[in-house]
Amino acid sequence: MEGIADFLDSIIGGIDLICYSLVIGGLVWGLFILRPWEYAHKQNKVHIILTEQTIRLIYQGAFALAIVQFIKIILKIWLMDSILERWPFPEFASTTQFIGGIFRLSLAIALATFVYSVLRHNAYSRKQWFNAAIIAGLMIISGAWLVHAAGRFEYRVILMALTTIHQVSAAVWIGGVFQLVSIWQLTRQKQIPDSYWPDSLRRFSRLGMIAVAGILLSGTPMALNYITSWNGFIGTGYGNILLVKFLLLAIALGFAWLNRRAVLQYASSANKHDVFNRVPYYIEAETFVLITLLFTAASLASQPPAIDIPGLTATWGEVLHSFAPRIPLTTSPSHAALLAGEAGRTAIIGQTPSAAATAWSDYNHNIAGIFVTVMSLFAMLSYRKSLTWTRYWPVGFIGLGIFILLRADAETWPNGTMGFWESMLENGEIFQHRIATLLVFLLGGIELRARMTSDPESKLPYIFPILCAFGGLMLLTHSHVGFQAKSSFLIQIGHTFMGLFALIMAIGRWLELKLDSPGKNIAGFISGFAFFQIGLILIFYQEPLY
Amino acid sequence: MHLRTCQMQRLLCRLILLSCCYTGLVNAHAVVTDYSLKLQTVSAGKASQVKLNFNSNIELGLSQVFLVRTGDVEEVLSVTAGKEPGVALIDMPALDAGVYALHYKIFAADGHITEDVIHFTVQP
Repeated sequence: MEGIADFLDSIIGGIDLICYSLVIGGLVWGLFILRPWEYAHKQNKVHIILTEQTIRLIYQGAFALAIVQFIKIILKIWLMDSILERWPFPEFASTTQFIGGIFRLSLAIALATFVYSVLRHNAYSRKQWFNAAIIAGLMIISGAWLVHAAGRFEYRVILMALTTIHQVSAAVWIGGVFQLVSIWQLTRQKQIPDSYWPDSLRRFSRLGMIAVAGILLSGTPMALNYITSWNGFIGTGYGNILLVKFLLLAIALGFAWLNRRAVLQYASSANKHDVFNRVPYYIEAETFVLITLLFTAASLASQPPAIDIPGLTATWGEVLHSFAPRIPLTTSPSHAALLAGEAGRTAIIGQTPSAAATAWSDYNHNIAGIFVTVMSLFAMLSYRKSLTWTRYWPVGFIGLGIFILLRADAETWPNGTMGFWESMLENGEIFQHRIATLLVFLLGGIELRARMTSDPESKLPYIFPILCAFGGLMLLTHSHVGFQAKSSFLIQIGHTFMGLFALIMAIGRWLELKLDSPGKNIAGFISGFAFFQIGLILIFYQEPLY
Repeated sequence: MHLRTCQMQRLLCRLILLSCCYTGLVNAHAVVTDYSLKLQTVSAGKASQVKLNFNSNIELGLSQVFLVRTGDVEEVLSVTAGKEPGVALIDMPALDAGVYALHYKIFAADGHITEDVIHFTVQP
């Protein structure tokens, strides 16, 4: 049970940040963009719809945040109970985590209740919007005691403040994007006139830039405090996830720039095409990226800062060696050889690395790489009219799924002694592998059906990029646990970059389905290229001997 | 047919939501930055005290330290707080010469749990 509790404790962090963004981003949207009190004496149907929608997102987000915060406390208790093998009270009741968590839970409930029962009925009252902002402010401050910086000795208050500013800035941007997605839905459903869409984009543009500046200005000193060398940036899990955060931020900013360019073009030439036929889909893709960014941020919070583990930092050479091209391993050690080395590998006293375990894992990844590379090549060829049979390339996922199911975890069914369900409940890593296997089967089955359907209105093709994005998210937060932080990191780094490419593949495919030419073709090529890159990482994958 | 499609879509949505439930295991934050075993060896037959310095505040009431003997036999050790924040003092019993390890599970003030091992040798 410890594995599952630990696993859920981590996932809930990402969901918490999504709810937080809905609340804080929604309130800032209402206070600075919507400003309903300015229309108090000249309300029209559109203002009412927009205001109701914004308030609905805020209280739904706040209620969800309260539930998530409650679950976080329960999970922490469960985790403590699993690890300590005893009820963690009364000691847990006096921890900062518990007290801060209860405060935040109470304030989230207070905010949700206030917005639902007071602000919803006084939507045009400036005073009530500011009252909501005051309660939210208190909730934001209470959250400062739950961040990583709260436990540190140096620059504690400064780091807590910077973390809070960083979170609020991110929430303003991401929550604003959620508001834009909801406004686009209203526009598409013809509930509000078309003119409100470019106007909302234009008004959010400046706020978005301020939020991004806030993210960078608060994030930079924190990064410099937690990572003090290039090696720490390249050779630790903390630095590696921070690098991924930078890359995700760059992709999201790229979409933001495309949106801004389209809005400026609309303002100068009244050309509607890009604003209505491209920007909504850029924003959808940006949402994919930003949600991944939130989960990556939650994952970063579970890593020890690079400054604290100088002796466990990998060198540039070791990191590059993880990606070095080589002949893939196509022969596996026997299951008996693997089991023979397990006792020594997992021992605390007299631990001996297992060459068989490393070769077993390398073989699994390399064979998976062959599957993926062949599929990616067929996927690219499927665009040629003379090779229509290659459109069945998703069949490869079914084969890959079977391979992963049989090979991923040697200690469990069908190879080992642990039962299928027992192993999933006991070990978070096996649980993740099983979910990955389910994803692979779903990817293959659904995408195959999507490519065989003749219905142009079918929604099936959109499932593939969504599943890819989830797969990417999974890889970005996947970690192999062990007592050797450096070996774990060298295993993790390949998974992290595959996660990034899976996300690029997802948004590329999404935009290929949504955009017109030439964007459609560019996005399709990028998606195929990212798929091919995942295949290459897997084909050349090699683990350190541990 | 339409009903079946809707049911399929609902099932798919549930599966997708289920597939969200993953993430990496927590590595945590209470990292040992220094420990007395680095500087002084443990002599056989004498009880001793080991000092662990952590990078952040820790909740000792929710933490555990085990002595690991050959064969991975574990024994719980008593832990007290040091004078400075982030310091844990571990009472070690008298040990025979040989190879041992300290296996600790530490609850950091930021809510993360660190599990790690420190190997050491007891000199004759």
